[in-house]
Amino acid sequence: MEATSNNAQPGRAAGMANIRYGVYNQPSNIAGKTVSEAREQFSKIWGIPSDAVAYCGKDRMDENATIQPGQNIEFHRRAGEKG
Amino acid sequence: MTEEEQIEPKRFIVVGAGGIGTWLCAGLVRLLEWKYPGSGLIIVDGDNYEEKNKERQDFTKLGNKAVVKAQELTTQFPNTTIIPVPKWVVGEDFGGVTDEDSPKIKASELIRENDVVFAVVDNFAARSILFNAARNLDNVDVFTGGNDDELFGSIYHYQKRDGVEITCHPEEFHPEYVNPPDKNPGELSCQERSEIEGGTQLLATNMAVASFILGRVHKTIVNTQSPEETEIFFDLGLGKSEPYNRTHSHLNQENEILV
Repeated sequence: MEATSNNAQPGRAAGMANIRYGVYNQPSNIAGKTVSEAREQFSKIWGIPSDAVAYCGKDRMDENATIQPGQNIEFHRRAGEKG
Repeated sequence: MTEEEQIEPKRFIVVGAGGIGTWLCAGLVRLLEWKYPGSGLIIVDGDNYEEKNKERQDFTKLGNKAVVKAQELTTQFPNTTIIPVPKWVVGEDFGGVTDEDSPKIKASELIRENDVVFAVVDNFAARSILFNAARNLDNVDVFTGGNDDELFGSIYHYQKRDGVEITCHPEEFHPEYVNPPDKNPGELSCQERSEIEGGTQLLATNMAVASFILGRVHKTIVNTQSPEETEIFFDLGLGKSEPYNRTHSHLNQENEILV
């Protein structure tokens, strides 16, 4: 399921949401921003690749979806392969 | 538990006796020997130990990995039956050639109800085959783990009870399980296998993956607690680890909140 509904409304209140990628997990004031904007903000410091898909729970997030206060947004990291 | 109560023996299956598998076997056999005497440890690997593997892998002589590792452990742990399966694991649809130099076993013939499986091979293709075979069972645990970029690693625990998935199949979060970017060595020729790059791996990271898996086994199998730390990412360079709850109950709850 792709989480696109009720996301593109203007004037949404900003606030805190949680963003995660691999070993990183940080509450941040990204609520009100789009997934694309959050990716841009954290991609350099955490090394999030451009093809890492964003999820909220089991729902895949559209790049234009607006992040809601309190949401847990996870950019999926590829699992370790070798062993 | 009182002494009179019967402790049910376990059947642990380790697929891959390499950089992670050798260290994992050392821990699992000790767990079985003392907590579940009379249990079975099945070690599956079609590959051979070579001198160059000694940098990261624990073995005392050259030869087939499953056979060598089983021989070593059998002499030390008499209360555990250790069975080598010197074969490559392949999927149901494998249509290639099985010859004496490259024996195969289908995952569905290897895994059965109530098994605890450790998929510690070095490719997503073979892991995917094992997870998919486990998915057809009602009660099973599959642990997997791997590492990349020297000090990064991750582990995953798939669990089913009474026909219900407790944790998600990893393909729900990892496209690399749906369309593996690599190939199952068991389905390649000897020449093709020899050309596969092992990548840059470190002993510390291999051992860390094994340790994280052992920790999950202790919590979820020995103590029968919830597998809510379903997936764990770690980075030894950063000194960080992060657990992710991939249980269906948690994810459904999280999505309900958002509706």
